[in-house]
Amino acid sequence: MTTRLIACITLFLLPAFLSPLQAQGTRKYTISGYVKDSRSGEELLGATVFVQELKTGTTTNVYGFYSISLPGGKYSITWSFIGYESVTRHIDLNQNLQVSVELALRQQMLKEVVVSGTRSSENVRSTETSVVKMDIRTIRQIPALMGEVDILKAIQLLPGVQTTSEGASGFSVRGGSPDQNLIQLDEATVYNASHLMGFFSVFNNDAIKDVKLYKGDIPASAGGRLSSLLDVRMKDGNSKKFSGTGGIGTISSRLTLEGPLDKDKVSFILSGRRTYADLFLRLSKDEDLNDNSLYFYDLNAKINCNIGEKDRIFISSYLGRDIFKNPDFKMNWGNQTLTLRWNHLFSQQLFSNFTLISSRFDYGLGIPEGKAESFKWVSQLDDYALKADFGYYPNPGNTIRFGLHSAWHTFIPGSAKGIGDNTFFNEFILPASYALEHAVYLQNEQQLIPRLSIRYGARFSLFQNMGKGVVYRFDEQYETIDSTVYPAGKVFNHYAGMEPRLALTWMLDSTSSLKASYSRTLQYIHLASNSASGNPLDVWFPSSPNVKPQKGDQVSAGYFRNFLSNQLETSAEVYYKKNHHSVDFKDHAELLLNPELEGELRFGETESYGLEFYIRLQKDRLNGWISYTLSRSMRKTAEINDGAAYRSPYDRPHNVAVVVNYALGKRTSCGANWVYASGQPVTFPTGRAVIGNKIVPVYSDRNAYRMPAYHRLDVSLSLRSKEKTGRKWFGEWNFSIYNVYARKNAWTINFETDPDNPDLIYAEKTYLFSIIPSITYNFNF
Amino acid sequence: MKAKLYIHITRRMASNFLAAVFMLSMTACTERIELELDSTFTRLVVDGAITTDTTAHCVRLTKSTDFYYSGKPPAVSGAQVSISDGEQVFVLTEDSLEAGLYKTTAGVFGIAGRNYRLRIDLAEAINGQSRYEAECMLPQVEALDSIKVVYQPAWEAWIVQCYALDPPTVNYYMFHIYKNGILMTDTIDKVIATDDVLFNGSYTNGVVIGFLQKEYPREIVNPGDVITARIAGITREYLEFIWAVQIETGYKNPLISGPPANIRGNIKNGGIGFFAAYSTRFASCVFQP
Repeated sequence: MTTRLIACITLFLLPAFLSPLQAQGTRKYTISGYVKDSRSGEELLGATVFVQELKTGTTTNVYGFYSISLPGGKYSITWSFIGYESVTRHIDLNQNLQVSVELALRQQMLKEVVVSGTRSSENVRSTETSVVKMDIRTIRQIPALMGEVDILKAIQLLPGVQTTSEGASGFSVRGGSPDQNLIQLDEATVYNASHLMGFFSVFNNDAIKDVKLYKGDIPASAGGRLSSLLDVRMKDGNSKKFSGTGGIGTISSRLTLEGPLDKDKVSFILSGRRTYADLFLRLSKDEDLNDNSLYFYDLNAKINCNIGEKDRIFISSYLGRDIFKNPDFKMNWGNQTLTLRWNHLFSQQLFSNFTLISSRFDYGLGIPEGKAESFKWVSQLDDYALKADFGYYPNPGNTIRFGLHSAWHTFIPGSAKGIGDNTFFNEFILPASYALEHAVYLQNEQQLIPRLSIRYGARFSLFQNMGKGVVYRFDEQYETIDSTVYPAGKVFNHYAGMEPRLALTWMLDSTSSLKASYSRTLQYIHLASNSASGNPLDVWFPSSPNVKPQKGDQVSAGYFRNFLSNQLETSAEVYYKKNHHSVDFKDHAELLLNPELEGELRFGETESYGLEFYIRLQKDRLNGWISYTLSRSMRKTAEINDGAAYRSPYDRPHNVAVVVNYALGKRTSCGANWVYASGQPVTFPTGRAVIGNKIVPVYSDRNAYRMPAYHRLDVSLSLRSKEKTGRKWFGEWNFSIYNVYARKNAWTINFETDPDNPDLIYAEKTYLFSIIPSITYNFNF
Repeated sequence: MKAKLYIHITRRMASNFLAAVFMLSMTACTERIELELDSTFTRLVVDGAITTDTTAHCVRLTKSTDFYYSGKPPAVSGAQVSISDGEQVFVLTEDSLEAGLYKTTAGVFGIAGRNYRLRIDLAEAINGQSRYEAECMLPQVEALDSIKVVYQPAWEAWIVQCYALDPPTVNYYMFHIYKNGILMTDTIDKVIATDDVLFNGSYTNGVVIGFLQKEYPREIVNPGDVITARIAGITREYLEFIWAVQIETGYKNPLISGPPANIRGNIKNGGIGFFAAYSTRFASCVFQP
């Protein structure tokens, strides 16, 4: 079976080496190197390298590395990146060359007259469909809640991405659940990306270099989640000079320091953030509130080291924690990640990256010692992973990527015990479970003919449940029959599957293309959460003999067209997705501290389809975008809603986002964004009964109603300090208003009994935010 | 089997957390709104029980209504109602003062270990059905050694703690609290119901079985007041029913609440509600601060 598979893949990839360029019989040479920012020395990801004479090119990988092999000769080669001045060099290629290029940031905001340089048509040309890239400078211009700009809030303004709940950083991609998004920070999985109930995400902008969201056509190098891959890359640290950035805001402050430890060789970045909004709680007159504290902090650190021409080492780490406590209760949660990477060039054409990753999400809560009900409850999820990824660039027509991944998951779903002498609680421990997840992948990006590019590949994944573990057996009514305990180290169950990925781009002309893609994804670990807005008490659980992996198939097609010398990008995409073994939960499921959690699960199918429009303008002083999504997402689960199809919790047919930023002058810019989304599906009562002297609701079908539509306008104004020669400190004041017209968007709707008439019930909505102004001072030096 | 008490306490605390989050948002608020809801078909609602107490046991029959209906639920009169345990049949007769309330004669008591069947024949069919049935086993319960009442300033409540040896078998309990002979847990949401996971087979060193809250004047406990706890041994099905009612009648907090769902009772043929059977024991103490 395995031999046949290898044979198949070899045959499949064979055409990769039969490039039209090779047929000429001329000797080939390779140009390779890195593309960097001239000021900070940061590598630029996805920068374009274009050979004018051959009308072909390549892009830099996630480490800023490129390699292109061409027949000997004279060439004009252009290196370019969005927002940067392009560089063109004339090269006489008669030997292998290493050319690293530094690009200068185009000072667009500081010039009155902007020379509109040639923008790249990469969005039209690339084989990537359903992918959105956001550079951190764009994100910074978006008006934000409490002035805290956030990448997870920014991506929710893109087509096909929905907010799960007001203020939440959880997001749904093309109708999928939030746990179907693979969120990676420097390749380490971040299991819970929220701070403070999701009002903030774990990503501190000052430490982030690049954000890329794959909404469907996930590259074969990633897997394990059905809906999307959010690839977040931390800065490597300024390798030219010591510098700092920071901000002081209404509810939090942040500071980032970066610089060379050994110029152009070793650099570091250290970034921290802490909220102090809980100080407001102390001002509250309400005694229940003023002894509460609620805050979060996070730290990002990275060291980047060039060892000679061929080797680089990175160590990056994230540590974040949320803390809530008062005399009666305390709760804290957070993520920790550590990534150790080694980039090695085996040759100019073969790039490799070896990564060692550890990631942890844990939470603890309890009542402090000294009371009868004192207890401590902890839960933890640990990942250790090893990855080897290779990029092979045999000729301009082919880029081959392959690799091997292996991860070890430890799930400690929860243990609770009483503390102190007076406690009445017994110890209650849920058994831990262990699993291994492996994958091999191979993918080629190939230009078949000048107009047609194709990316094809496959990922073969294998998931193994490993002892020590307890597996319950359930009957058809999900009642426990018995349980089996497997000894430590024994692999007692496995799932494996092939995940093919395919994408085609047909260039209609130099500014328009048609694209199509198909992908299959498998998800082996799942989140037990059925709350509408997510909470920190996340319990992840593995596939097991009772829980089959979730399987997703997605096809999408799109038309991409650029206007005005690529300053106006437009696209229209359609998608259809079918997910099998989608996880849902029985009515009134108990997902916490439940050893028989698997008995609470119900499996069904989810079908989602939609149409996404995106128009993006970057012209002179004006930039921004409009996105519109028309979509549906329906689930069907035998034991829920009497087996009839029901709206998935993320079915919001209309979704609009308008984001605008305008440079008023050299130092001033203003921005606005407006969002509209159909209300979240919800189940409301349609009848009532009186039981035990209490009015009990009789409900509609699952998700038969919708909350009122959500919409909101935010605005901002930025003032920068004057540009002076020799000036080292640059400041910027940012004034923003969230929810300008004070729309009271319903966060939840409850039904309350009238205090004067116990037989009368009325509907009551809770909204989180009215109009919220904020001021932030940002600086860099 | 669930560690409900941990979760129960955590949920209470989570609302505190939510309040702090609201405070942070600075503008969070609630507002009464007009919300149109559809109608649904009428269902028979059954609310009744037989216990080991020697008394007249009641079954109340009403109809479900539209959600915004503003009166008492319409009573279902003229039905034939009986409870049997396989050996005896108790016929329930409709109360002359309260329509829809059906009672056994006064000297009736249930016996632990027996299976009780409720049978209802309506004079007028509801939703096309005139016969409704339910079945419930009556579990055994052991006596409490003692109870204690303590004021908890942090919660602004008097907690009732219980001391008893839990048998090694799996048990499910429901607790009612009386103050000076008056039932305080007079609605189903005030009752504490739990399994024995946290103390199975061991001595319950003061497990909380009741809360009397200061904010309700009738629940304030003064020195000398006699507090009585009634422990009931119930079935798992009834425990899950009580939990479901408590979830569906409580505040829905999107952070921790799952999607709403209809409460599953044990009434066959499309009725809603529950016919329960349980054994009871009592324990009392005098509150001394």
